[in-house]
Formats: sequence, C-alpha cells, structure tokens
Amino acid sequence: MARMKFVCDAERCIECNGCVTACKNENEVPWGVNRRRVVTLNDGVPGEKSISVACMHCSDAPCMAVCPVNCFYRTDEGVVLHDKDICIGCGYCSYACPFGAPQFPSTGSFGVRGKMDKCTFCAGGPEVNGSQAEFEKYGRNRLAEGKLPACAEMCSTKALLAGDGDVVADIFRNRVVQRGKGAEVWGWGTAYGSRQAGQPPAGGKS
Amino acid sequence: QAPAPAASSPSVVAPAAVMPAPAAVGGIQGQNIFEVKPDASETPGYASQTNGERARVQPGNNAPMWHQVGAGATGYSSLPKAQAPEAGNLIQPFVQYPGSRLTNAGEAWRQVRNHWLIPYGGALLLIVAGAIALFYMGKGSIKLHGAKTGRRVERFTPFERSAHWANAIAFSILAISGIVMAFGKFFALPVMGAMLFGWLAYALKNLHNFAGPVFVVSLLIVFFTFVRDNLPSRGDLRWLLKGGGLLSGKEVPSHRFNAGEKLVFWGGVFFLGMVVVASGLVLDKLLPSLVYERGTMQIAHMVHAVATVLMMAMFTGHIYIGTIGMEGAYEGMRTGYVDETWAKEHHEFWYDDIKAGRIPVQRSEPAPPAGPTVQA
Amino acid sequence: MLLTKKSPGLSGQAAHRPGTARFVQSLARGLSNALPTMDRRAFLRRSGLGVGVGLAASQLALVRKARAAAPGEAGGNSKIEVKRTVCSHCSVGCAVDAVVENGVWVRQEAVFDSPINLGAHCAKGAALREHGHGEYRLRYPMKLVNGKYERISWDTALNEITERMLALRKESGPDSVYVIGSSKHNNEQAYLLRKWMSFWGSNNCDHQARICHSTTVAGVANTWGYGAMTNSYNDMQNSKCALYIGSNAAEAHPVSMLHMLHSKEKGCKMIVVDPRFTRTAAKADEYVRLRSGSDIPFLFGVLHHIFKNGWEDTQYINDRVYGMDKIKEEVLAKWTPDKVEEACGVNEATVLKVATMMSQNRPSTIVWCMGQTQHTTGNAIVRASCILQLALGNVGKSGGGTNIFRGHDNVQGATDVGPNPDSLPGYYGLAEGSWKHFAKAWGVDFDWIKGRYATPAMMGKPGITVSRWIDGVLEKNEFIDQDSNLRGVFYWGHAPNSQTRGLEMKRAMDKLDLLVVVDPYPSATAAMAAMPGKAEDLNPNRAVYLLPAATQFETSGSVTASNRSLQWREKVIEPLWESRSDHMIMQQFADRLGFGKELSKNFKMQQVRGMDEPMPEEILREINKTCWTIGYTGQSPERLKAHMRNMHLFDVKTLKSRGGKDKETGYDTTGDYFGLPWPCYGTPELKHPGSPNLYDTSKHVMEGGGNFRANFGVEREGKTLLAEDGSHSLGADITTGYPEFDHLLMKKLGWWDELSDAEKAAAEGKNWKTDSLGGIIRVVMKNHGCHPFGNAKARAVVWNFPDAIPQHREPLYGIRPDLVAKYPTHDDKKAFWRLPTLYKTLQDKNIADKVHEKFPLILTSGRLVEYEGGGEETRSNPWLAELQQEMFIEINPKVAADKGIRNGERAWVSTPTGARLNVQALVTERVGPDTVFMPFHFSGRWQGADMLAYYPAGAAPVVRGEAINTGTTYGYDSVTMMQETKTTVCNVEKA
Ligand SMILES: Nc1nc2c(c(=O)[nH]1)N[C@H]1C(S)=C(S)[C@@H](COP(=O)(O)OP(=O)(O)OC[C@H]3O[C@@H](n4cnc5c(=O)[nH]c(N)nc54)[C@H](O)[C@@H]3O)O[C@H]1N2
Ligand SMILES: Nc1nc2c(c(=O)[nH]1)N[C@H]1C(S)=C(S)[C@@H](COP(=O)(O)OP(=O)(O)OC[C@H]3O[C@@H](n4cnc5c(=O)[nH]c(N)nc54)[C@H](O)[C@@H]3O)O[C@H]1N2
Ligand code: HEM
Ligand code: HEM
Ligand code: SF4
Ligand code: SF4
Ligand code: SF4
Ligand code: SF4
Ligand code: SF4
Ligand SMILES: [Mo]
Repeated sequence: MARMKFVCDAERCIECNGCVTACKNENEVPWGVNRRRVVTLNDGVPGEKSISVACMHCSDAPCMAVCPVNCFYRTDEGVVLHDKDICIGCGYCSYACPFGAPQFPSTGSFGVRGKMDKCTFCAGGPEVNGSQAEFEKYGRNRLAEGKLPACAEMCSTKALLAGDGDVVADIFRNRVVQRGKGAEVWGWGTAYGSRQAGQPPAGGKS
Repeated sequence: QAPAPAASSPSVVAPAAVMPAPAAVGGIQGQNIFEVKPDASETPGYASQTNGERARVQPGNNAPMWHQVGAGATGYSSLPKAQAPEAGNLIQPFVQYPGSRLTNAGEAWRQVRNHWLIPYGGALLLIVAGAIALFYMGKGSIKLHGAKTGRRVERFTPFERSAHWANAIAFSILAISGIVMAFGKFFALPVMGAMLFGWLAYALKNLHNFAGPVFVVSLLIVFFTFVRDNLPSRGDLRWLLKGGGLLSGKEVPSHRFNAGEKLVFWGGVFFLGMVVVASGLVLDKLLPSLVYERGTMQIAHMVHAVATVLMMAMFTGHIYIGTIGMEGAYEGMRTGYVDETWAKEHHEFWYDDIKAGRIPVQRSEPAPPAGPTVQA
Repeated sequence: MLLTKKSPGLSGQAAHRPGTARFVQSLARGLSNALPTMDRRAFLRRSGLGVGVGLAASQLALVRKARAAAPGEAGGNSKIEVKRTVCSHCSVGCAVDAVVENGVWVRQEAVFDSPINLGAHCAKGAALREHGHGEYRLRYPMKLVNGKYERISWDTALNEITERMLALRKESGPDSVYVIGSSKHNNEQAYLLRKWMSFWGSNNCDHQARICHSTTVAGVANTWGYGAMTNSYNDMQNSKCALYIGSNAAEAHPVSMLHMLHSKEKGCKMIVVDPRFTRTAAKADEYVRLRSGSDIPFLFGVLHHIFKNGWEDTQYINDRVYGMDKIKEEVLAKWTPDKVEEACGVNEATVLKVATMMSQNRPSTIVWCMGQTQHTTGNAIVRASCILQLALGNVGKSGGGTNIFRGHDNVQGATDVGPNPDSLPGYYGLAEGSWKHFAKAWGVDFDWIKGRYATPAMMGKPGITVSRWIDGVLEKNEFIDQDSNLRGVFYWGHAPNSQTRGLEMKRAMDKLDLLVVVDPYPSATAAMAAMPGKAEDLNPNRAVYLLPAATQFETSGSVTASNRSLQWREKVIEPLWESRSDHMIMQQFADRLGFGKELSKNFKMQQVRGMDEPMPEEILREINKTCWTIGYTGQSPERLKAHMRNMHLFDVKTLKSRGGKDKETGYDTTGDYFGLPWPCYGTPELKHPGSPNLYDTSKHVMEGGGNFRANFGVEREGKTLLAEDGSHSLGADITTGYPEFDHLLMKKLGWWDELSDAEKAAAEGKNWKTDSLGGIIRVVMKNHGCHPFGNAKARAVVWNFPDAIPQHREPLYGIRPDLVAKYPTHDDKKAFWRLPTLYKTLQDKNIADKVHEKFPLILTSGRLVEYEGGGEETRSNPWLAELQQEMFIEINPKVAADKGIRNGERAWVSTPTGARLNVQALVTERVGPDTVFMPFHFSGRWQGADMLAYYPAGAAPVVRGEAINTGTTYGYDSVTMMQETKTTVCNVEKA
C-alpha cells in the first residue's frame, strides 16, 4: 500500500512560491489561509536554504491525538484528513502540529476561528469523491482522480516531491547520490518518527 | 571514488538511513565534493559554524541549519508578521514542558495534555465526585441541630445574590462545556456519534468562549463584594484546627464566613479564579497587543487546564455544601435570608454581631411586602 | 482512539445522495479523463528528470491508482474542454493546460510533456487561472471627466479618440502621437502594431524591450549577428560551469532553475556575481559581490587571468573572432587585479577563482540579464560578456553560449517583429529597401506609406524611445529632432511605473492632449493621470481614455520564449467583461483612421462577439512571408500547433523531436526542435528544424547548425572579417568564410539555376532577406549546406559603437567621485533618438553638487518572484498579492543600525530628483553596506499618499505600494537609450 509523503529538497527549493499559489489555485483557498508556505533559513547569507512546508501527514499525528472531537482520520494512503462538519475550531490541532499546518479562516477574538483547514494532500475530505460539497469544503480530490498534489506537480524545480514515500525517497536518494550532498529528508524524522526517518529498504515496507 | 560527504560528516542527521552506502553507484559527480576536507570536523569552532561556513568546508553539509530548525529558529517568510506571526518557523522549537519529553513544543504540549491533564485531571474530578457521593451516602447532609425560629436574618443582599448567581451560572456553563471539550470524546462521543457530538461540542465550545468573559466580570464583582468578610479573623485558626467541626459534628463558631469558606474564597475565587481568568482571556484572544503564538497558547492552555480542574474540584465541594450538603445554605443564597438558628449554628460570631447590632439584620432596602423572599 | 476511515471514498455517504453525487462524480471523472497527460506517473517520472528514471519507474507499481470508479458516463450536459496555452508572465514560456467548463476556466493543469517546463511553474504561472476571474480588471471603456473615470461605450471611445488623433495629426503631424506597444502582445499583435504605426505614418513607437534588453540586442547582434539568447534553458543541462552575472534567475526565471539545478547535480558549477546575495546566489557554488555598475572591470578582470594563463581558445579565436588581439592588449594592460579590485571591489583571488572555474570546466556558459543591461554603459557591459565567451571558445557550442534570459513572455517576439522605433519587423532597418520589401508584402504602395509620414526623411529616422517619451513632451521644441513635441500618448500594454523619473512623468502626463491606455489592467496609468498634479502643468484640453484589452488567454497567437522557440496559445476563454483583443482594437482604430482595409489586406477576419477580428493565423502567415532575416518564416501556424499537440515527442535536453507524427494533421515532427526556435529559415515547406543553439558549426545547417553572421562587411583594416578556412558548419559545400547570399553570389557560384523559374523571378535583384519566395535560402541551405547569412567572424571590437572596445564608465549618479575621475562617462549627445541626451555635464554637476554626500547609498532595483513588471496585473491577483503585501527596501544591518531603523519599520527613501518614498525596511545582509535594493513592482502610493481615490472604481489592485521609479534618476545607454535603473543613489531615514 502506498504511503503518501512529501519530500522538499532544500538543495533545490528556490522560494518561488509556485507550490503555494498552485495550492491556492487548485483548492481555492481563501486569503489568510496558507495550506503551504515557504520558509527561508539563513536568509540572505551564504548557507541560505528554503523549504516548502505543509501538513506532513504524520504517522502518529499530534493534531489527531489532541482533537477534542476526533474529527481527523487517516486514509489507506496515510493521508491525514479531517471532517469540517465536526470540527469545532478549537485550534488545538494547530498548537500540537509541529509544522504549523492547521490554518483557520478567522483569527478573531473570543476564540472564533471557523473550521480548521489544512493541506489535504489534495485528497479532499469525507464527502463523496469529486463532489461539489467536497470541493467547497476541502478543495480538489486529486488522488481520487489519479493525480498527485498540485503543489508538487507544479513545483518549479521539482524540489517538492509528493507521492508514495518509497518512490519519492528513491528519486530523492538518486539526486543525493548524483550530487553527493544535501542528504537530509527534511521533516521526516518529526513527521514519521525516527524509525521512518530514513528510507525503508526498497519494496520492503509493508 | 570519494565517499559521500554525508557519510564523512557525522553531524548530518540520520543520513545513513536516507542514503545507504552509495559506493556502488558511479561515484560522486558534484564537483564540490572534491573540495570536501575529511578532517574539516577537526577545525576549531567546527561545532559552532554557521551553515554558510560549514558549506565552505563541507559543501552540502547542512547540519548547522538543521540544528537551527530543530531549535525552532525563525526563518524568513514573505507573509506579513501581523497576519502569520509564525510563518517563518518550520518546526516548533524544542521545549520540555513539565511532564513531557524534550521535543518540539507541539508534541510536548500534546504529551502534557494527553498524558497528564486529561487522565489525571479527569481522575481528580471523578475522585472528587466519588468522594462527595460517598460522603453524602455515608453522612448525609448537615442538618440543623435546633429548630428553626422562623425569625430570619438577611445573609445576602439581592446585589450579592445576583452577582453570585451570575457567577455560578457562568461557572456551570464553563465547567460543563469545558468538561465536554476535554473529556467529551471519552464519554459522550461513543454514545452520541461523531456528528451529533460535533454539533454539541461546537455549541458548547462557543458558549464557553462567550461565557468566559461573563465569568470574568462576575468573578471580579463577587470578589470585591465578599472580600471584606473573607479577611482572616480571629477564630479562623481554631476553626481550621477543628476541621470545621465536620468530624466532631460540633460546629465551630465563625464570623460571616467560616475559615473553610475563606479558603475557598482565597484559594478558589481569588487565586485559581485569577489564574483561570487570565489564561482563559489569553485562550480567548481577548488581551489586546498580545501576539498569540502557539507557544503562548500552549502554556495558557496548560495553566488553564490545571487551574480549571482544581477549581472544578474545589467548587464541586462548594456546590455540594451549598446545595444538598447542608440544610439551609442554599436557601440563604437563593432567598437572601437564613433562619436565626442556622446563623447561630453555622456562623455564631456573625450571629452575635447581628444580635449586638454591630451588623444590621436587614442591610438591603426592605423588600416589598409581596416579594416571595420576604418573611412569610 | 484514532479514527481510521477507509480510503477517501465513503461509499456509504454516496448512497445518501445518489442524485447529485453520481452527477458530480461523473463530472469529475470526465474532467480527469479529458486530461491525458497528468497522471502521477508522469509527474514522478519527470521529477527524477531523467535521473534514475528506471529506478523510479520500476517502483511505480507501488503507486496505487485511486480512481474512484470505472469511467463511462458522460459529464452530464456540461462541456469540458482543455486548452493549451502558455504562461504570460516571463520569457521561460511554461505551458499550461486550462480546463474550461462551459466557457469558464475552472482548473489549471501542469503540462508534464512540455520540454521547457515539465509541468513546473513559479508562483505566477501557478496562479494563472486567476486571469479567468479578472475581478480587478477594467470592465468597460472609461473616460476621465472632472477627475473621475466614467463609463462610456466602445463606439464613443473609439470615435472620440480617433477624432482627437486626426486633429493632432492635422495640427502637429503624425509624429506628435506616441504609441507604447507591448511585449505582452503575441507576435501577431506586436507585428500588427508596427504595421499599424507605419500606416499612421510615424516611427514613434516602442515597447518594453527598450528598457529591458535593448542593450543586449544591440550589443550581441553587433558582435555576431543576432540579438538573442544563443542557447536555451534546456541546453544548460550540458554546461559544466555557469556564470550568472546580473541575473537573479531564481526569482525572475524560476523554472529555468529546474534545468540548472539538475545540471548542477550532475556536476555543473554555478557562479553568481551580483551586488545582492540573491535566491540564485543561494544556490551557487561561488558567490561574488560586486558594486553595482562595475561589471566590465570584473569581466575584464576575469579575462585578464585567462589571457595571462593562456586559457583562451586560440584556435577558435583565430578561426572565428575578429579583434581579440586588441582586447587582449587592453585587458592585460588596463585591468590588472589591483585596478579590478579598486573598481568593482572583488579581490584577485576571487576573480582568479572565477576565471579558473570558467576555463577548466568547458563548455561553460554565461547568463546575464538586467544587472548588465540597465546601465548607461549597458551596451558595453554585454559585449564584455560576449568577449569573455568568445575568448573561451564557448559560443556556438552546446553547453556554452551566452544565455541571455529575456524578460516578458513575448519580449523576444515583440523585439523580433514588433513596434521598434528603429526597425521594421524582422530587424529590417528603416532604409528604403526595407520599406519596399514590406510594402510589397503588405500589398500597399510604397509611395502611399511615404505619404502617410510627415516627410520622407522622418520615415527613415528612428523614433523616440519609450524610456524618453516624457522628454518628447517636456523638452523645449527647438531641441528635439522632430517638428512637434509629443502631444498624444498610447499606453498599449505597458505600465508607467516601469520607466524612470516618475516625478517628471507625472508632469508629462498632465501636459498631454490625449492619453489612451489600452490594457486589461490600465489602472496604474489611470491613477497617475487622475491624481492632481501641479495646476500649471495640467493641459485643460487633456482627454484620458481607458480601453479594456483582452488578455492573452482571451485570444490565440504565437509567443516567442527566451530560447527563441515559438509556442501557439489557444484561446482559453472569451474576452471577459467588455474587453476586446488588441488586434481587434487596432483594426477598429484603423477603420476609423482610414487605413483599415490596407491594414488587413492579407487577412481573413473571424467573428468575435459579432465583430471582425483579423485571424492570428493569417497574421502569422504574413510574418512567415516577410521576416526572412531572422528565420521567422518556417514557423507556420500548422507546424506550431502540431508541436503544441505533441510536446511529448521532444527531448528535454536537446529539444529535438524523437520522431513521430501529429495525429490530427499527419505532420511529421522528426528532426524538428521544439517550437522551431528562430532562425527557422526558408518557407515552412523547407522544413528547417529551427536552431536550438546559434552559430553551432558542429551541425548541418539543415539540422539547426550555423556559424557567425556576415553582417559587417568582409574586411576591415586589412584583416578579413570572414571565418578562416575550415571553420564552417558541418557538411557545408563552402569550407571557407563567405559573405551573405544574394542573386549575384548565387550566379557567381553557379547555383542560380537550382532555383525554379518562379523563384528566379522573385530572387532577381534581391538578397536572401528580400527574396519573397525564399528560393535563395532553399538552394543555399538544402542543396549546399551553407548559411544564407554568410560565414564570418564575431566581432570582439565593434567599431561602430561609442566604445569599440568596452570601456568601464561610472554611472551618472554614484557614490565614488574618485572613480568618476578615472572612468568618466561619455560626452553629451545632441540629437540622439530625436532627443538631446546628457552624460558628462550631468555627471560633473553631480560631483560639483556633492550628490554623493547627500545620497550616500547605491540604490538598485529588481524583481520579486511573485510580481511581474509594473505589477498592476499580478498585484490584482489575490493568490499572489497575499505573498507580498508591502513595498520594502533592503538595508544592510550596519546601515540600519546607523540610521536607527529596525526590521519592519517604515523608512523614507529620498533620491536626488526630490522624490521621497515611504516604504518598509527589510534589514538583511542580502545587500552590502553600500547598497540598498527595492523591488520595482509596486504602484498605487505616491510619496507617502495612497492613490486609491484616483483609480477607476473597482479596478484598484489588491496591494498598492510606493513605486521606486517615482524616485529614479536620469541616465541612458549610449547606444539604445536604455534607462539606468540598476545604479543610482539615495538616502534612507527612519520614518
Ligand atoms: N517574477 C518576475 N519575473 C520576471 C519579471 C518580473 O517582473 N517578475 N520580469 C521579467 C523581465 S521583464 C525581465 S527583463 C527579467 C529580469 O530578470 P533579472 O535581470 O534576473 O532580474 P532583476 O531582479 O531585475 O536583476 C537581476 C539582478 O541584477 C542585480 N544587479 C543590479 N545591479 C547590478 C550590476 O551592476 N551588476 C550585476 N552583475 N548585477 C546587478 C540585482 O541585484 C538583481 O539581483 O525577469 C523577467 N522575469
Ligand atoms: N527600477 C526599475 N525599473 C524597471 C526595471 C527594473 O529592474 N528596475 N525593469 C525594467 C524592465 S526589464 C521591464 S521589461 C519593464 C517592465 O515594465 P512593464 O512592462 O511596464 O510592466 P508590466 O506591468 O508588466 O506592464 C505590462 C502591461 O501590459 C498589460 N498587459 C498584459 N497582457 C496584455 C495584453 O494582452 N494586451 C494589452 N494591451 N496589455 C496587456 C499588463 O496589464 C500591464 O499593465 O520595467 C522596467 N523598469
Ligand atoms: C472556571 C471556569 C472555567 C472552567 C472550568 C474552564 C474549563 C475549561 C476546560 C476544561 C477547557 C478544555 C481544556 C481541554 O480541552 O484540554 C477549557 C478551555 C478553554 N477555556 Fe475555559 N474554563 C473556565 C473559564 C474560562 C474563562 C473565564 C475563559 C475566558 C475568558 C475560558 C476560555 C477558554 C478557552 C478559550 C478555552 C480553549 C478552548 C476554546 O478555544 O474553545 N475559560 N476551559
Ligand atoms: C451552582 C453553583 C453554586 C452554588 C449552588 C453555590 C451556592 C452557594 C451558597 C449556598 C452559598 C452560601 C454559603 C453561605 O451562606 O455561607 C455560596 C456562597 C458563595 N459562593 Fe457559591 N455557589 C455556587 C457557585 C459558586 C461559584 C462558581 C463561585 C465562585 C467562583 C461561588 C462563590 C461563592 C462565594 C464567594 C460565596 C460567599 C462565601 C464565601 O466567600 O466563601 N459560588 N454559594
Ligand atoms: S503535519 Fe500537523 S496537521 Fe499534519 S498530520 Fe502532522 S500534526 Fe497533523
Ligand atoms: S480545530 Fe477542529 S480539527 Fe482542530 S483540534 Fe479543534 S476540532 Fe479538531
Ligand atoms: S497537497 Fe494539495 S492541499 Fe496540500 S499543500 Fe499541496 S496543493 Fe495544497
Ligand atoms: S515551488 Fe518548489 S521551488 Fe518553488 S517554493 Fe515551492 S517547493 Fe520551493
Ligand atoms: S512566470 Fe515564467 S517561470 Fe513562472 S510559470 Fe510563467 S513562464 Fe514559467
Ligand atoms: Mo524586462
């Protein structure tokens, strides 16, 4: 079974924000909600690296664990999704998420946030696949269409890879071997635990 | 061919697993690789190099940056700070909250909440509820020893009562909604199903968020209303030493409020109340000029949760005594008047003061004759 | 307690709502089936970019296809189409599939098959679909009445404008109207506008290329023939070393980095030379910080080491380069390491390192862009770069070349065939022969055109440039080299905040009689015109009109990417609101101005919203029949469309078709290069494949090979200008150097009879550029493997330029008077592009006025990835606008500390023009302590004040900010009139 993961190759990412607007475009995400964002470290000095980050669809997802109404679920492909009909907008998932993935349409007083929104790995939500309701609440369900996330598909440098963890790790490993540097698969340790941080033996993952 | 720099630089995090021995593949083609100095790690100050400095001696070794990321360094993000104050953080910084491992703040908070606050807080509430239930079943409520005189003294003015009840109602709403938020998924969700529970929790959560400020205001009023009579006074110590006479069955004389009540007042209303209010206001994003970052929210939440659980435990006792636990107490808070017998038995000094005329029998304007709370 | 729901599809829920669900589901399926190219496989395959394809593919079995249900049911009654188009923002030319449902652009898909972008996009390209919303666009024609824009009808607008134009023509002649065309126009529109202007009777037209790469075009064309990028983004995968000097590709050409980073992974070294540590620099192996405007000292410093160490390619120089000996002499004598360091601030070791990297890793390429071009010395800087590449023998080689990244999506095409003041389409000059060539092709009388001009002399005199139109208005009449001052101006797809000297532009705008803005987002110009200026400047009779133009997604046509590949855009949607396509507007103006018939004599019309519009295909065919010089003749609409449909056939590294026929037309793409990169010589029937890398002698001319152009005579000072013997394109019948072909040479060589009778008739008395049937080209290329433009040497010394050997000259506004003394600027020019132009007097005055003391910081400017050009279009796109909400200035921490400015605080930036800009401070080490940087994409605030009130209602962009060009200073290139936007001075204070 494919286990969906993201890899962002810090040696390639150029902070062009293509992934960010691809997501906005594909999922019609409103202003203020950034399912994906790009962070640059050591900005403007040698050693600068940029990384595009969204929900990593963690194995032992903190967001899921703290949600007071248990509205998260995980698909067969390891994608962490949630049900906006159930979400109460308490914000706990955003406190818990290491990556700051959960977003809220409002930041008002009285803790009014609206329903949480986050990267769905372009896999929609609990509504019927491809339905209008699904689109309006969660954006496109590209996985159901046999496509991969819009952000990664459109990444200007193919720094951002999305897909079966084994496959993307292989592509990435190939690059690393080619260039002989930049080996860190950013975020995997945090998202998938140290056991999964590395590359499972090819084809050996159950 | 030259070895992968990753392999030669032990400080790259977990590369071995990412990149198993590349030896079989046709060598490293990146030219910079030949500039790698295998002994670069021997150079003084190696450990404190910046990512740029490291790249000079070991191109592609981004360990310094990954360390920064782990430490929660804030990078650049073009999103405005006002709109997304933490957009520049890749991972929340590493922290160790009491009760958690040293890990990123989100995970640490999750550990505190899920491993401590929820189980132990829930247990405490259950234990308190159980203890009170057992006490009640064992001892029953505290009855008046003497007969009612039919003469009533005013214990609480209408103002005092309305402040108290506003406070009490807000508290009840907050407690119920808080409990549903914190523990609902263990007891209500399985019964109600996700959708219904979701709606309930949504309603209660919003109720909580708006009842909070009501509670804040009423609590302040309650505090100032009752603070004078809750100042320590002679007899308090004795009252405490005798445990309020709970075991002996013999009431210990006290002023208007006994030392037990004063404890609740200072410990519960004042200390916990203020903590709950402060943390609640943060969680509610009502304090202007504060930047509501996740770290702030996590701490506010943990403080809130601890304080509210303790407060709930404490006030469960208060409510018990104020209702079924003690004959006549509730009547006093409901109607404002207590029977002289009650006053004499429970607050003897206060009764004495009234009798001595140091405290008027009737402090508020005499209620209109038709009023239900006026003496029959 | 974790919920785990089974796969994303909840079949249970589907059952609840059978009606809608099935309909919508089938719709979705219909959608995904309509798009053949975008499955996960393709993406992952391309993500590896060839590396380890095998490995990735073998594991693809693990990627489970999560198709919901069997496809089958038709998508209800909604019509779903997929239109293939090309991003309209930059010159990379990324292809996009637009999914259109019932006329609405509902989705955008990556085109993995495109060899140029493999599905990749930067922020702008990925946000393209917003053009289908167009919420902040101008919706209908408007007119400025009493300071407010009011809606009027198209007919009223067109009639009133033409009346005004005719009145101006009568009073002041055709040269009183100035038309700023656009690099946003497709080739057909750009071409038609030049034709339109010729029929109006003036050369007073220009477009963005002037303020973009004009210095490149002039400098490079004068070095070896064509003023264009020699190789391609793709070809950089073959480079062993790449020197980016004055290019911030990661922000300006992000998708080009796809190829570069891949190349880098395979060992290519990357060097970035820039005053700022840019996003591109962050990816470099070697970053060199230099002082803005000092590229020549640096480049010649590099060359100094190359010559000193004998690293130059002597054989190549001998065979293919003219004048390198003079350069060597000068460079060795003049650009010693100490002088280099003094002038550009780079120490000897670093310069040597760059020289070593470039020399030891050949083929090495050089990339440049605005960092080199936008200077008073731009023409010389770009030539220094060419000389470096010639010395290393890199030009005409795969992996080498001068990879000049162009600007707007079609700035290359608009330069090639569009509204240039000094040439007709295809770089045909303004000489009578050219006019006759075109008159014939256009089917009009040469004398009729001549009659349209004020005088025959004006017909041959280059017009005013867009960089200086304001001086055409403001300059005293006796000093300008035409009868009247400019009185009417058209902004036809160009922003105002992209030209320097904003304060004076405001005055010029107020002085005009007529200002017409034809643009989907005309609001920057509109707001500037409506904003109250000085009362004494305002012309009481001024009329301002805004006309809503359609975008490139609302029409079809061809667009030329930086690598010279042409791509055909399909029309995605019908024009939004009341907008009309530019070529329709041109036709409608022409009809009213009285030359409508002449304009479209050769074109069939198509109906759009019930109105006539010249068919883009027909216009392209006319281009095919005229622009022989640069090989815009082989790219017939049919061939281009076949390429667009069959992108998957083209190799990513070489751009060459692997072979295969277009299913629809049966056209065989075998041997073609993607997009038939110009020059694609001869008629379409000749089937020239296009030229992937220019001047490449390792290939046959019919396979895209070539050599340097013979364009500057055959001999100079006793030395031959033709290539040495043995240096020729593969398989050429003539193995020596030779001049360009004309009927005489054909006859002399005995090749004349290989022409058909019809071809002979057309070629008689003509050269290969004016031979209307392309017979000469056919015979020379196909039968003899020779190059129609001859085989010559590149010129290291361009004797017809002000500095035959590139000279470093300090900018007019600088902070180094000591260097000005050593490297002074040019003398003033009296009539240069019809205007007097200051150099020395201004530089001297600045030194006398001690400008460097009052304004001690070098101010440079450039791009942000999210915005484009003046930015009104991209700042109207909320998906982009959210990502850059504030105009800012980058300040070094040291300077910031001195000035007491903290990151995020407001600052006042003042410049010698008197302008004061209020912007946010971004304190960063990206810039050194002597330099500050500002992006130039903002407008809508004017010296601290919001201009919102002056915008047409509803047409203000989402984000507004101070425009840097409100404060930029005077200064123009000595050949092309390029404005100086990369080096000026300013002061910064805490606000
Ligand atoms: N996102 C985005 N992309 C674009 C555009 C856009 O507006 N936005 N516009 C397109 C257009 S029209 C063009 S022309 C291209 C321009 O593309 P670029 O020229 O790459 O972009 P710029 O940012 O203008 O300038 C490049 C660099 O030149 C540096 N520079 C300044 N002065 C000097 C100097 O004296 N010497 C050297 N060596 N470098 C110097 C600047 O610091 C800057 O980093 O981009 C195209 N692509
Ligand atoms: N300080 C400073 N100034 C600079 C530069 C710099 O680096 N620094 N760079 C310079 C360079 S390289 C350039 S190229 C210029 C760019 O500057 P401009 O080209 O002036 O900027 P844009 O905003 O891209 O202008 C294009 C206009 O065309 C419109 N448009 C888009 N599509 C169409 C269409 O199909 N039809 C019509 N009619 N209009 C259309 C857009 O709405 C927009 O208003 O700026 C120059 N100015
Ligand atoms: C004594 C009264 C209160 C009690 C018993 C109480 C109890 C709780 C509990 C149990 C939670 C849930 C913790 C969890 O799920 O982990 C909670 C959350 C919260 N409380 Fe309270 N609380 C009280 C007062 C207040 C006040 C006065 C405010 C605001 C002024 C407030 C604002 C909040 C907020 C904002 C949350 C976070 C959940 C959300 O945003 O909806 N609370 N409270
Ligand atoms: C439903 C819930 C509650 C009930 C039934 C209740 C009942 C009572 C009763 C009967 C009294 C009178 C005791 C006496 O006469 O000495 C009393 C007093 C008081 N109650 Fe409550 N109460 C409730 C909730 C609260 C809450 C939430 C607070 C504050 C956080 C509170 C604060 C007080 C205070 C300050 C007094 C005065 C005595 C003192 O200062 O200790 N009560 N309550
Ligand atoms: S990245 Fe955050 S939101 Fe996504 S699964 Fe992990 S914890 Fe949840
Ligand atoms: S915001 Fe919604 S999803 Fe997040 S924890 Fe709260 S209820 Fe769950
Ligand atoms: S996977 Fe889809 S939802 Fe997630 S960031 Fe990418 S585009 Fe957005
Ligand atoms: S699109 Fe790719 S390169 Fe651009 S910011 Fe996103 S991950 Fe980085
Ligand atoms: S702006 Fe340029 S690089 Fe970005 S998507 Fe468009 S064409 Fe490609
Ligand atoms: Mo440009």
